[in-house]
Amino acid sequence: MPENPPKSIKVLSSLPLNLLLNGVLIVPFIIMIYLAFLKWSPLMGMNWWEAPFYGLQNFARAVSDARFLSALGRTALFVAVSVPLEFVLGLTLAYFMQREFVGKKYTVSLLIYPLMLPPVVVATVFYLFFQPYGPVNNIFLKYLVGEKALDIYWFLDRNLAFITIIIAEIWQWTPFMFLILYSGLSAVPKRLVEAAEVLGASEWKIFWKIRLPLIKQLITIAIILRCLEAFKVFDYIYVMTGGGPGTATESISLYIYRLAIMYSDISYAAAVSLIVLAIIFAVSRIAIKFLLERR
Amino acid sequence: MGNEKDKKFDPSRRQFITTIGTAIVAIGIGYAIGYLTKPAEVVEKAIERTVTVTRTVTATGTPTPTPTPTTPIPGLSEVAVRAINGVKDLIERGVVPRGATLRILHVSGSKAQLEKAIELWSKYVPEIKVELVTMGTEPDVYSKSMSEAVTKTGQYDIITIFSTWLGDTVEAGLAKDITEYFNKYDPGYVGACAPIEPLGSYTTLYKGRRYALTLDSDVFTLTYRKDLINDPKYKEEFRSIYGYDLKVPDTWEEVIDIARFFTEKRLTSPSGGRVWGAYFYVEPAFAAYITFTNIFLEAGGIYFDLETMDPKIDSPEGRYAFDILLKLKPYMPPEAISASWADLYDKFIKGESVLTAAWPSLTKMAISSPDSVVRDKTGTALMPGVRLEIGGKPTIVRAAPNPVNWVGIVNSYGKYPEAAYLFLQFMTAPDIGLEVILSGVILDLFRLCWFTDPAYRGKSIQGYGEEFVDAYMEALKISYPDFIIRGGPEYAGKLTTAVNAVVSGTMDPETALSSVAAEWDSITKRYGVSEQLEAWRALAKLFPDPVQQAWKAKGYIK
Amino acid sequence: MGASSTLSKIVMICILLIFVVWTVIPVMWIVSLSFKPYVEWRTPSLLPRKPTIENYLTLFSPQSVAVFIAYTAILEPIAGPLANSLIVAAVATVIAVIIGFFTAYGASRYNTPGPFTLFFTLMTRMLPPATFLTPLMVYFTTLHLLDNLAGLILLYSATTVTYAIWILKGYIDALPIEWEEAALLEGAKPTEVLWKVVIPLIRPGLVVSGLFIFLMAWTELLFALVLTSVKAVTLPVQVSKYVTAVGALWGVQAAAALLGSIIPVIIGYMIQKHLITGFTFGLVRA
Repeated sequence: MPENPPKSIKVLSSLPLNLLLNGVLIVPFIIMIYLAFLKWSPLMGMNWWEAPFYGLQNFARAVSDARFLSALGRTALFVAVSVPLEFVLGLTLAYFMQREFVGKKYTVSLLIYPLMLPPVVVATVFYLFFQPYGPVNNIFLKYLVGEKALDIYWFLDRNLAFITIIIAEIWQWTPFMFLILYSGLSAVPKRLVEAAEVLGASEWKIFWKIRLPLIKQLITIAIILRCLEAFKVFDYIYVMTGGGPGTATESISLYIYRLAIMYSDISYAAAVSLIVLAIIFAVSRIAIKFLLERR
Repeated sequence: MGNEKDKKFDPSRRQFITTIGTAIVAIGIGYAIGYLTKPAEVVEKAIERTVTVTRTVTATGTPTPTPTPTTPIPGLSEVAVRAINGVKDLIERGVVPRGATLRILHVSGSKAQLEKAIELWSKYVPEIKVELVTMGTEPDVYSKSMSEAVTKTGQYDIITIFSTWLGDTVEAGLAKDITEYFNKYDPGYVGACAPIEPLGSYTTLYKGRRYALTLDSDVFTLTYRKDLINDPKYKEEFRSIYGYDLKVPDTWEEVIDIARFFTEKRLTSPSGGRVWGAYFYVEPAFAAYITFTNIFLEAGGIYFDLETMDPKIDSPEGRYAFDILLKLKPYMPPEAISASWADLYDKFIKGESVLTAAWPSLTKMAISSPDSVVRDKTGTALMPGVRLEIGGKPTIVRAAPNPVNWVGIVNSYGKYPEAAYLFLQFMTAPDIGLEVILSGVILDLFRLCWFTDPAYRGKSIQGYGEEFVDAYMEALKISYPDFIIRGGPEYAGKLTTAVNAVVSGTMDPETALSSVAAEWDSITKRYGVSEQLEAWRALAKLFPDPVQQAWKAKGYIK
Repeated sequence: MGASSTLSKIVMICILLIFVVWTVIPVMWIVSLSFKPYVEWRTPSLLPRKPTIENYLTLFSPQSVAVFIAYTAILEPIAGPLANSLIVAAVATVIAVIIGFFTAYGASRYNTPGPFTLFFTLMTRMLPPATFLTPLMVYFTTLHLLDNLAGLILLYSATTVTYAIWILKGYIDALPIEWEEAALLEGAKPTEVLWKVVIPLIRPGLVVSGLFIFLMAWTELLFALVLTSVKAVTLPVQVSKYVTAVGALWGVQAAAALLGSIIPVIIGYMIQKHLITGFTFGLVRA
């Protein structure tokens, strides 16, 4: 490829993007950064540009805020458990979808259906599912453990509640992994596959040695994107547990939401958000440098 | 920590300039898009307007209204007549053009009552249209209100809010000071048909000025299974175990006994569910603070010191409240800790709880919902109290929570505040108001004459049942407000989280009390101690008598 | 050959079946909930005992359903929000995919924009949205983009373009470069190269990123809730209104969710044929 990009490509590949991102997002983002250094809340009755400067105090407060730190750790744990599970399950599914069979299109449509529902609705469904009068206790577990199942109160126990959130998350987002992996695997050049088959390689071997390595980049992207999203988990917790019992399942997104919307403590929420952003930024920068930019 | 804003610019000046340049261009384009795609009427409203919000703080005590004389309209109460004449006058003088629209923001799922009000309004004032906009649930209305306070678009003229948010909406500049209109038009807050005190005052005043008209009352009453409590067999059994008669409980200790009695019987409801002795709110989303504050205040506890605004929740009264709740817990359904507020309703009408407490809508549902199995078995009484010695005499201090309570505020940034106020006055008038309330669910009775005046009482009884009407009137008189100061939802929210944590066993009461005290203190400091103290003092004066007496007995007030 | 492959086939079918059942049960629950009358909303039965279509009726003409009078339902029929969502999602997807594609191509082949900018686009997905709402609202108010479909479109495009960029970049990176070089040598203009050579070959990437972006715009709740009030209400916002002050209308919400998922399902079904590109490089070359 020519060393210097042709003019048309240069313009096309940066101008529209700049226009879009800068026009829409930069100004609010800068405002948000500014807010973090103020002592302001709409409840103070003054406009935000008139509010007094507060320096780093919001950040200092965040660092010693136990509820913030535990929400952070909890969310990280959530991501660390959910995303690998989603990946493994998605990969398994994608593997099985390699071959053609009758009704494959319908099966795929069905398997990716969870993505079509707003997360709030999924949260509501699982909320109803795990109620004492819901099907999980009354139907499924009854077959497994009998009458004792009726005494399990999913949302009362901090660990069980956490598990329900993970289940909702996995149910909805495994199809994401599946779809990306499936489409990636399908795009592997046929000749490579055919060549290997001619050489007598088994399907399993083909999968591991040929298909997977070719889509390594795609896998990494999928995992990173999914991790970023999972870290912001909100709907399931909001609807299913309300962060409870106590604050045992409060994710960082829910905490920030509470701060900003319910307590109107916007400056502090902005500071917390920036800290979270910085952490995620650093972690993902390292991950990407390590995984992607070493071609 | 905060240096990432540098990282987003590629390390070249040219890029920097390009970024800024495209940002400016893009903003211009965005502005144009917005301007061109906005409907015309809103564009006009968004033209810059300087709004000075004066929050003058005057002494407490509302001056008696001196209304302007009006021409009566047959069949309509004076309050409503004054409202209508007022509006017609505004139209006449050109202050409000004919064909103007007033927009009301209300919570969704209960349009019937507001629609009734709008229907009646349009009979008398067809020149001004009123439009109803509904939002999801209350938190959505709250956040929309706060957004409106910041963006000042004026797209709503009237907002129905919880009284809990009054402090917030006033301080944010959203709620307009309507003391002037209140005095000019007299919405009937004095006399035989006034909203029952202290509710009429504490839901509409903030730091001594009027900011809202109350549309509703939300006082809790003890709702109980008449059939079970009065059953002679159970009465005998109970007496033999506990040594006193089975009756409607007067104190929380009796509640625990009765709850235990019935829970241990392991009765089954007609729908097959287990019957629990009690169900009081301890859920995490917002209601746990209700039960706690009920017991706390009755025991003589006070939220904040009246001189210093120090939180006084970490006190013997606080410990007592937690003690009661923890003792009550085994006799309440386990879902109480996690389910939503509607679950309490559900359980009672399915016959699965014996003693419970909630808003008037619970009784309405119990006696009229097709799924209710307790239709003629529902009894209403005052909330149980706490035994204290007041002035040397043993007394049972009773107080009833009045959580939430819909009130109507006028948007400071709306186009026609006076007309908006008059709509509120109209829809809360003695005659119109009752009609509005009886056409739906979430707004309930608040004017004294609706309970006592034969002209209105019959209709009230039709809607609620006689026993309820009488008990409810008494409950209103001992009702106490939410945290109607700035940050009210946050104070309540922190308390709710702590109560839920304690009852669910994830925190012990001592830690909870001190952590709530610390959190409350930081909220207070955030808004300014003297500011908060002023609001708190004004509010404390409006608490019901029994509570004030208990505070005196405990030495919290002189 | 015979025995082990049949065994593996059986294992495969079993596992597939488990996945299908696992996916289907909550879906079945939603379907059955949408046909359950009010009294049955809180019962554990998987099928309604008295199926009814009143939930759906409420969606389309809220005034018509008598049973909900005490719980007076919603004001607006669902057609409006449905149309709004469709417009917003469709336009936002088109914008995001187009811009994403160009950026991805430049980034992959020529390193423009540089890696820092690319990484910065990821930042749009890193921030928990709650605090961003207030500044965004203030900004949009000045631009008159509140309660405006255009505002939502711009916002969604901006926040999802990064998906398009990264997914498409993955696909373009995997594309052998010889095709484009050959085309350039034969005198094609760079833009022609894009149109004629690259796009057809990365169709799976285009449809997959398009689908994800569409779904994200279709189901996004928080920003829509804050930025719309009367005229630009989208489907998720409308669905959120079914959890009301007097109790949640589970059945109606389920019905709305199902209706709302029809269009994405159709799209998801239709794109499947584009997921296979029919790479037949080697064989055609000769």
